[in-house]
Amino acid sequence: MTAPIAAAAARGYGRNYLPFAYPALAITAMVIVFPWLFTLFMSAHEWKIGSPREFVGFANYVKLAGDPRFLESIGHTLWFTLLSVVLPIAFGTGAALVFNERFPLRGFCRAVFILPMMATPVAVALVWKMMFHPQLGVLNYILTSVGLPPSLWHTSIDTVIPTLVMVEVWHWTPLVMLIVLGGLAAAPTEPYESARLDGANAWQMFRYITLPLIMPFVVLAVVIRTIDALKAFDTIFVISEGGPGTASETINIYLYLQAFAFYNIGYASAIVVVFFVLIIVLAMVLLWLRQKSKWS
Amino acid sequence: MSAPARTSELSWLARRVASKLAFGFAVFVIVSPAILVMLWMLSLSLKNEVDNMAYPPVFIPSPPTLANFEAVFENSNLMRYLVNSLLVTGGATLVAILVGVPAGYGIAKASAHRTAICILIARITPALSYLIPLYMMFQMLGLTGSLWPIFITHLVITIPIFVYVMIGFFESLPPDLEEAALIDGCTLWQAFRHVALPLARPGIVVAMILSIIFSWNNFVFGAVLGGRQTRTLPAAVYNMLTFEQVAWGPLAAAALLVTAPVLVLTLFIQKEIVGGLTAGGVKGG
Amino acid sequence: MTMTTRKENRRGLSRRAALRAGAGLLAAPAIMKVATAQTSGAFNWRRFAGQSIEVSLTLGPRANVLRAHEKEFTELTGIKVGSEAVPEQQHRQQVVIQFNSGNPQFDVLTVSLHVQKRLVGKAKWLHDMKPLLADSQLTAPDYDFPDFTGGGLRWATQGDGRMDTLPLNIDPWMIYYNKELFAARGLAFPKTFEEIVMAAEKLTDKASGQFGWVSRGLKNANVPVWTSFMLGYDVDPVNTKTIQLQTMTDGAIAAAEYYKKLNREFAPPGTVGFNWNEAQTSFSQGKIGMWIDGIGFAPPLEDPTKSRIVGKVGYGVMPQGPKARHSATFADGIGIPVASKKREAAYLYCQWATSKLMCNRLLQSGGGSPCRASSYTNPEVVAGIKLPREWLQCLQDSAAIGRQGLPEIVPVTEFRDVFGVGLTNTLGGADARAEMQKATEAFTPVLAKSEA
Repeated sequence: MTAPIAAAAARGYGRNYLPFAYPALAITAMVIVFPWLFTLFMSAHEWKIGSPREFVGFANYVKLAGDPRFLESIGHTLWFTLLSVVLPIAFGTGAALVFNERFPLRGFCRAVFILPMMATPVAVALVWKMMFHPQLGVLNYILTSVGLPPSLWHTSIDTVIPTLVMVEVWHWTPLVMLIVLGGLAAAPTEPYESARLDGANAWQMFRYITLPLIMPFVVLAVVIRTIDALKAFDTIFVISEGGPGTASETINIYLYLQAFAFYNIGYASAIVVVFFVLIIVLAMVLLWLRQKSKWS
Repeated sequence: MSAPARTSELSWLARRVASKLAFGFAVFVIVSPAILVMLWMLSLSLKNEVDNMAYPPVFIPSPPTLANFEAVFENSNLMRYLVNSLLVTGGATLVAILVGVPAGYGIAKASAHRTAICILIARITPALSYLIPLYMMFQMLGLTGSLWPIFITHLVITIPIFVYVMIGFFESLPPDLEEAALIDGCTLWQAFRHVALPLARPGIVVAMILSIIFSWNNFVFGAVLGGRQTRTLPAAVYNMLTFEQVAWGPLAAAALLVTAPVLVLTLFIQKEIVGGLTAGGVKGG
Repeated sequence: MTMTTRKENRRGLSRRAALRAGAGLLAAPAIMKVATAQTSGAFNWRRFAGQSIEVSLTLGPRANVLRAHEKEFTELTGIKVGSEAVPEQQHRQQVVIQFNSGNPQFDVLTVSLHVQKRLVGKAKWLHDMKPLLADSQLTAPDYDFPDFTGGGLRWATQGDGRMDTLPLNIDPWMIYYNKELFAARGLAFPKTFEEIVMAAEKLTDKASGQFGWVSRGLKNANVPVWTSFMLGYDVDPVNTKTIQLQTMTDGAIAAAEYYKKLNREFAPPGTVGFNWNEAQTSFSQGKIGMWIDGIGFAPPLEDPTKSRIVGKVGYGVMPQGPKARHSATFADGIGIPVASKKREAAYLYCQWATSKLMCNRLLQSGGGSPCRASSYTNPEVVAGIKLPREWLQCLQDSAAIGRQGLPEIVPVTEFRDVFGVGLTNTLGGADARAEMQKATEAFTPVLAKSEA
């Protein structure tokens, strides 16, 4: 920056930029303030639809702390989220490396690869469910044709979460790929050239040049994936409904059950508040990591 | 040519071929899950029920039938739901462009992280917690029965996407050009409108695509807030579970019809998507 | 146009409906003041012509019949109908959310009485049908209210005497069996619970992929299977007089263990995720011996485009349990929200939907059992039923031993969920007693609070 520009910047134009954000803030506030106030208000009440409301203070939160089903759902949520973040990141980064190279039909392959991310989750989850049918589904047919034993997929307590994760991975790896590809495409080529001249092999170039360059993008993808995985609903709801039993019941599914099947609005509101706090905490941790790894 | 040089040339060739093959295999492995599931969905929708229930599974329909698609159009108001989805997603994306791009710009320039968080809270809040209070609110405002409730709730999806993408984008844009414009006497808005905005096209494209995808595919809002006439397409698909059987044919046909618009859009604009996301990274600087 | 009840015109005749023994259905005396033929001439189907109503139906055979003949209703009354059939779970949730907002968007809805009866009754969301039935200007002279069976009326009437729905359908549970598989092993349809196990065992040959039994395993959906067995031990899930759970009694635990045994040892793998539709699909492929479920699911089994066992389906009445013999029953009703601004037009629809003509059609389609005795005694109607004679016989015999399959409490969905989870866990190997204990402990406070 030249001296006059630097001086202008130092005059603190920062403050005057906020009005740009006012319309967006206004709309967002309008749509989320009332629900949030309602949720907080309701969480301090005992209210079942069809019955009168009753103020109970913190009783709902106390009940949550001792609710084995809720505590179990936290475990399921964290486990599901961990798998649904790590696997797409790994596969997506690998795919990005592949798509960064030039090869024939690259455009077509890319288009096909990102199709899953575009597909409507509900619609595709229904198709997956048909593929998972233990006797009539095509996936077990494929397994048995190559000599492997058929799997119970979403109908067994042990395999339901990995099954759901599989669908999530299929669905969201393209998004990770695109984000990381963005980082790769913007990476400068000089470091590679000098490294090659120095005799570095592919692995060393990846480890010491590529990885640090794409790290901010990977972290961005991790943040986005984590928030989305924590809130995942459509796929789980359609394929297993939280079952078998409660084996794949995440916080979001349990929340839905309490609010829309049992009509316990008060209790469900308390779950929302706790869930939100959990997401915020995790998001904060990840954003802090992002700040630390910011590139340039 | 001497013998050692020849073998080394051959082994170099072999290595090249091997690595190309390995690469091709990697591409195949990466791309096949995506396409196979889509193809299976297509296959299911073109087969009649007996074929669909057959085990071992029938891959190529014999004969293929369009009956499933006919059934879908007959049994539900699919055109109406398509129009609803178009209106809601189109409208919500448009509004998001109008308010989200300036917001992203303003927040990036002002480094107003706290404001960013306020808007992103909308993204982080579980969607279900909006439903009952918003339903009651719309009830009080007399809007139930129209598309407005769904449209307004979709803003909660689209605006944060735009804001978040544009913040990242504008933060990485070098400020020199705008500073020059400001020195020349432009107002902040003019600097934005005439300098920053034209450069923002890749970012806007990316945000627009993400916004369209997430809004179009949203199931929960349309299902709970939508009435018979005002449902969106994904919500309608879930209702297609017919009573008689799990009816795989019509279900797959409906799933395909719902997903098709976005998939077609993807195939046409995939270059833009990739270009936009890759241009979002800093060029030089 | 306001409808004032013309008290001076109402004939206070009380009619005793005699036992309609021919149908074998439970018909008990119904004492009601009804409009009689003497006041005909005052009723006119086209009285509210030009109005339009919104009808919200639960997806199913009943909805199919109603929607298939919707145009006839419009021709008859001049009232336009906008109808929709929504899958069960979503329908129940949607209507409650709308009721809660105070302004539901529909004028008529079907209610799953076995789940929502107490909920709508306690909140008084629906109009009481009795004044409407008594109004000769609104009720057709040939409606023939006494034709309704006592069982149907019991379902439709609340504890405080309000009748807030008209009974639409009763669904008794029975056992479908594959006659071909049974004959191949020389087996007869079981007569007792022990014989069910024996038959299932003989029919199960895992190597060839043949199984003796299939039933719902998915939580919430599987509870009626368990209560079906429980009734054979002469135990109701909830004691209606004391509002106490009876789910830790010997009968209930034995029923849970019976459920576990049948499904773990003789059912195809993966039934844990099965609802009625997956079970039905499995059964219709011809490799399953027996399937327990509602009798209204029969039509696709006899449809050659969907089933491989057309003509081979046997319809068996619930066999004798250790202490009693009952068929679990569930019911649907049709009602009018109090907030509806088109009460009279909506009532005409409800009337039409439960008229003799529509009830006969429902029976003939094989999609349910209407609550009118005349449907079963009318030879023309019976001749027109699209399913084998055996089906009708099973229906009538099952209704004769019918007993409510779910408790009549407010939190039925939560009951089904909590106990359903326990049952599903037993399929994974958990101990039945322990699971029932856990579920009972979790549900007891819910029950106490809701019925207080």
